[in-house]
Amino acid sequence: MALPNTNNASATIKRVRFWYGLLTIVLVVFGIRLFFLQVVDYSHYHAAALSDQLKQYQIPADRGIIEAQDGSNVVPIVLNQKLYTLYADPVYIKHPNQVAAKIVPVIGGNANQYAGLMHTKNTRYVILAKKLSPSQNQRVLALRIPGIGTQGQDYRVYPEGSLASQVLGFVDGNGKGQYGIEQALNKQLSGKAGQVKAVTDVNGVPLPATKGNIEQPPVNGDTVVTTLDLPMQAQMEKILQQEYKKTKSQGISALIMDPDTGQIKAMANYPTYDPSNYQNVTNPAVFQNGAVTDAIEPGSSMKTLTTSAALDQGVIQPNSSFYDPAHWVINGFNITDIAQDGGAREQNIASILALSLNTGATWMLMQMSDPGHTQITAKGINAWHNYMVNHFRLGQPTGIEQGYESAGYVPPANMNDPSIDLRYANTSFGQGVQLTALQLGAALSSVLNGGTYYQPTLVSETIKASGQTQVNKPKVVEKHTVGPNIGKELIPLMQNVVTTYHNEGFSYMSFPSNYIVGGKTGTAQVAKPTGGYYKNTYNGTYVGFVGGDKPQYVIVVFNIKPGIPGYAGSYAGQPVFSDLAHMLIDNSYVTPKTSP
Amino acid sequence: MWSSHPASGRRRPPRRIRPEAAESKLGRRHRPDYWLMIWCAVLLAIGLMVVYAISPALGITNHTQGSYYVTKQLLAIGLSVAAFFVTARIPLQWWQRAYKPLLVAAGLATLLALALPVNPAYPAHRWVRFGGLSFESVELVQFAVMVWLATFLARRVRQGTIKSMKLTLKPLVIALLIIGVVIVGIQSDLGSAGVIVAMMATMAYVAGLPLKKIMLIGGAVLIMLVLAIAATPYRRARLESYLHPQSNCHGSGYQACQALIAVGSGGMVGLGLGSGVQAYGYLPEAANDSIFAIYAEKFGFVGAIILLAIFMAFFTRLKNIAERLPDDFSRFLVIGILAWLSIQTFINIGAMIGLLPLKGITLPFISYGGTSVVFSVAAIGLAFQASQYTAFTANRLVDEEAAAGDAVRRPGAARAGRAGIRGNNGSRRPDWRDNARRAGY
Repeated sequence: MALPNTNNASATIKRVRFWYGLLTIVLVVFGIRLFFLQVVDYSHYHAAALSDQLKQYQIPADRGIIEAQDGSNVVPIVLNQKLYTLYADPVYIKHPNQVAAKIVPVIGGNANQYAGLMHTKNTRYVILAKKLSPSQNQRVLALRIPGIGTQGQDYRVYPEGSLASQVLGFVDGNGKGQYGIEQALNKQLSGKAGQVKAVTDVNGVPLPATKGNIEQPPVNGDTVVTTLDLPMQAQMEKILQQEYKKTKSQGISALIMDPDTGQIKAMANYPTYDPSNYQNVTNPAVFQNGAVTDAIEPGSSMKTLTTSAALDQGVIQPNSSFYDPAHWVINGFNITDIAQDGGAREQNIASILALSLNTGATWMLMQMSDPGHTQITAKGINAWHNYMVNHFRLGQPTGIEQGYESAGYVPPANMNDPSIDLRYANTSFGQGVQLTALQLGAALSSVLNGGTYYQPTLVSETIKASGQTQVNKPKVVEKHTVGPNIGKELIPLMQNVVTTYHNEGFSYMSFPSNYIVGGKTGTAQVAKPTGGYYKNTYNGTYVGFVGGDKPQYVIVVFNIKPGIPGYAGSYAGQPVFSDLAHMLIDNSYVTPKTSP
Repeated sequence: MWSSHPASGRRRPPRRIRPEAAESKLGRRHRPDYWLMIWCAVLLAIGLMVVYAISPALGITNHTQGSYYVTKQLLAIGLSVAAFFVTARIPLQWWQRAYKPLLVAAGLATLLALALPVNPAYPAHRWVRFGGLSFESVELVQFAVMVWLATFLARRVRQGTIKSMKLTLKPLVIALLIIGVVIVGIQSDLGSAGVIVAMMATMAYVAGLPLKKIMLIGGAVLIMLVLAIAATPYRRARLESYLHPQSNCHGSGYQACQALIAVGSGGMVGLGLGSGVQAYGYLPEAANDSIFAIYAEKFGFVGAIILLAIFMAFFTRLKNIAERLPDDFSRFLVIGILAWLSIQTFINIGAMIGLLPLKGITLPFISYGGTSVVFSVAAIGLAFQASQYTAFTANRLVDEEAAAGDAVRRPGAARAGRAGIRGNNGSRRPDWRDNARRAGY
């Protein structure tokens, strides 16, 4: 038997063993390396793994919707719609051109542009498209392209278009409410975002069976039911638009409120905007709800409050009369009437309001100072200031659910001011004092309802995500602004103003006899920002009420710088009030008198 | 492997050759090495288990059904078992005559792979497809080269011309050039080429080709390698990310970084079979090239060491078989199998633990992938066939060594002897187990 060469075989085996030794060394080195990776540096790699895998993010809460009154129904005026943002993780996209070609048929747009975005270096997140519809979202996800994902985002939709847009406000790109109710009740509407802390797959989807996942579900925002009466609001907006053109004004604000609850039934401004396209608004001033955010000098409509204060103090009676000298000299300045038609003669409270006598308002301030005399003293100034600030709550925000509410301005009763008498003579008829339409309406409401200042509000109730309803009951802020009878005394005085204007030829100021309608015009000089007043530029204001057995609606109109001749209050403020009052009566919003 | 701890006193006594044992022409035939088969099965089972565990996760990035990978892997294992039973029955000497058709088949498969249209997801021309089936031509090339080289080297050893420049070195260099041009140049498969070249070097070294000459060729190969890397941007990027692993974790170094994170975050005992996270789209090629990292994440340091130990035990069986084989051809063939599989293991695991650059090489038996599994298991079929033979000389060598060792280290060992293996002198009838024990079972 020919045996193989023993030496040769043994040499071969030695080489095999040498090679095998090398292999053993390699595997031992691997074992040592594994020890360093997995045991020594474990915490480093554990942390690195978690920083990739453990994702913490918020589950957004659904923003609460906003509803309004429509007859006996409640209908939504702000809803949510989920739209989707399409993003790419370039690390997972090997062939951007192919991916772009796949998504273009679904989302439209330019394939080259998408491919370019997906080529972006050093990022894990590139936004390809925004505002995809739910069906586009489904179709894109159905393509199942690695590295392509979508994120849902809520957008506000407005079934009533631009209706009440300035009262509602809008929600910006960051999900934050801006202006109006959206801003004021942002926290309530937003709800509370949920938290998720979870180990996820590479696309951020939490793995099902991982220990230590923390999930806190979101609490959706409250539904806010407003006090706004939709049909009333719609008609008011139509009226404002028409009058805006007729009076060639720079803007009109108006509100209708319930004097017995403080609820705002309609509130609008013109010009306005479309909240679903708020991005396209060039002049951000139109975002403001002027009825709440813009305080102006109201002019003679202020006389209703001065009269109420003087009546309540008991220094005048509804039938008081006095000799009007047609001008007072105070601090060396003449106080005269805009309407110089009467001259010096005997006047009474009714004619002070009907003829809008500045001398009459000043006289009432004099009576508050020292009854029976014609001088202004600290007593009268302090009393008037007390009524306006502490009773009628002027000079401070009312606290209505609106963004950017203005505080207005009442000059301080500073007796060291050498021209304080003149200053207060002016404020008695509405110059040198600044009010918002809402402040004026809320103050007059408290007089008319018998002395209760209700918190002005736009919210009738809120409904929590749990279904629990919180009714926003009328909240009494001030129990006794004036005595319970002052309203009853003021009502005929203000009705008389309406009758007087009707008799003077303002035919539209005629109302059916089974309703009570009262009001007061205001033609206010417009202050220059630098001091002093513009010549021939006025704001027309009007404050009034409509009712049957008692006032049921208080209406305030601010017509900013109308471009037509005549007294702004009479020719620009009054017709708007008239239209609104007729609208309320014609649509049976007002309950007529029970005994004619 | 023969000498146990001196304190144990368990030492095999020197033995005479037992001519009465069953024998073939060159050596004795006996029971095959079932441990080889068992370790192979264990490795396949581990791979299948990991593929099963991460199958749902793979769907995240590959958009497949949860059972897709397991089903395909089971199919591959079924095929490989069939291949094993074929190769395990073919007498080893038969392959000496088969290398030419094998080379031709490998060449045809490669040409076919180059001619067929490519899958856009894997643009390299490496796959031969018929219908739903596909296989990687390079696996057949590897196998054919191994059989050819064993035949070639055995002939040169028999002729005594193993050290001849013209007769031995020249054909080897030509073979290297062909592999370089076709596999590296055209198929762009540097990893597989590296495995083939390293396998060839190992076989040539074991056959007795002078180390100097191998080094010379190695130097030439190295220069070619540098050129190949410099010529292709993605290889440069891979090398770059290998040299500076933390610098580019979001770019070309992403896979290397994620592999290290997977291995490292496994810790001492791992996250558990069902709890790994990196397979969920973080670590690319989780079922294929990166499967060791996924395994290490699931089973930790303990599991990784156990897997390395199983591989080592498995390679040791192959080495032992090679050592005691009666003829050079068989020995070179088994060494080729050992080199082929161990170098793949070395390159794959080395890349996963950040010691080597990523090469796109699968982990034998563990990685998902039909061609690799079938060819690896078929090769083990050859080794299994080979494990039935032991050279007389090998026995003698073993016995002489043991005796020498005893004489030097433990003079009393022969006397002490172990009662249990006295078999032939005692009542127990002699059988193939004696050969097996001698051979180091």
